[in-house]
Amino acid sequence: MITRLQDINQILGAMDLFRSQMNSMFNNFDRSYSGGRDWSIAETYPRTNLSDMGDNLELIAEVPGVFKEDLQVKIQGNYLEISGTRKPDNPEGYTVHRTERATASFSRSFTLPYEVDAGKVEATLKDGLLTMSLPKSEAAKPRQISIQ
Amino acid sequence: MSENEIVARNEQPGELVHQLPVAAPAVDIYENDAEILLHADMPGVLKDDISVNIDNGKMLLSGTRRLQPGGSAGWRELTDVEFRRTFAVPQSIDVNKVHAELKDGVLRLHLPKSESAKPRRIEIKAG
Repeated sequence: MITRLQDINQILGAMDLFRSQMNSMFNNFDRSYSGGRDWSIAETYPRTNLSDMGDNLELIAEVPGVFKEDLQVKIQGNYLEISGTRKPDNPEGYTVHRTERATASFSRSFTLPYEVDAGKVEATLKDGLLTMSLPKSEAAKPRQISIQ
Repeated sequence: MSENEIVARNEQPGELVHQLPVAAPAVDIYENDAEILLHADMPGVLKDDISVNIDNGKMLLSGTRRLQPGGSAGWRELTDVEFRRTFAVPQSIDVNKVHAELKDGVLRLHLPKSESAKPRRIEIKAG
């Protein structure tokens, strides 16, 4: 009897797995990553993450196939603008079967939650991700308050 | 049968699944006489996290991105993701010579055609 219960559990476990696989199939069925979320209009600006690291803010932007020279970052106070161009990289002498990767210029601006020290901003481009470390200006830094 | 046996149910192998969101990467596909060339956007994916499996006329391309977690979130638009897409590959591809390079988040996959599949110019002899 015990072995039979374990068999049933195993079958139920397999069915759970099957169900979650089916769910993810309908969610993700051939949905192109560049095509935006759900069925909305394709995004033409890079996706970003913003994290608060305490003394600085960290912004990560997704810019695959964009060269360092083709990226511009503008900072003023708490205003940040990323703009750039992705140049077409289609090789010579090939016939084209499919082009899904957009080659266009983009621009995106943000209002950061804090003013940042524009002089100390560091930006690195690696593996198609632009990572920027934005130190908060002195007035915006967290401060320990001693209680009298 | 004691009550304990029903409550203490061991985890079954099939349940130990970590699900990463899956997205199809955007691709460009080119072809010339010598090879088929595929460019795929995979921002943030490291070389070692990419796999290309060709089996029975199907090619599964998969790359996993793992972002460094840290800080408190201001906003989040990109997450850890598995870029996965399956392509039908013609039999004329020489599977042993397939090679790829990854640069700036773009994978360039070369699928050379086998010698017998390359176009050939036939000389016509005067009889």
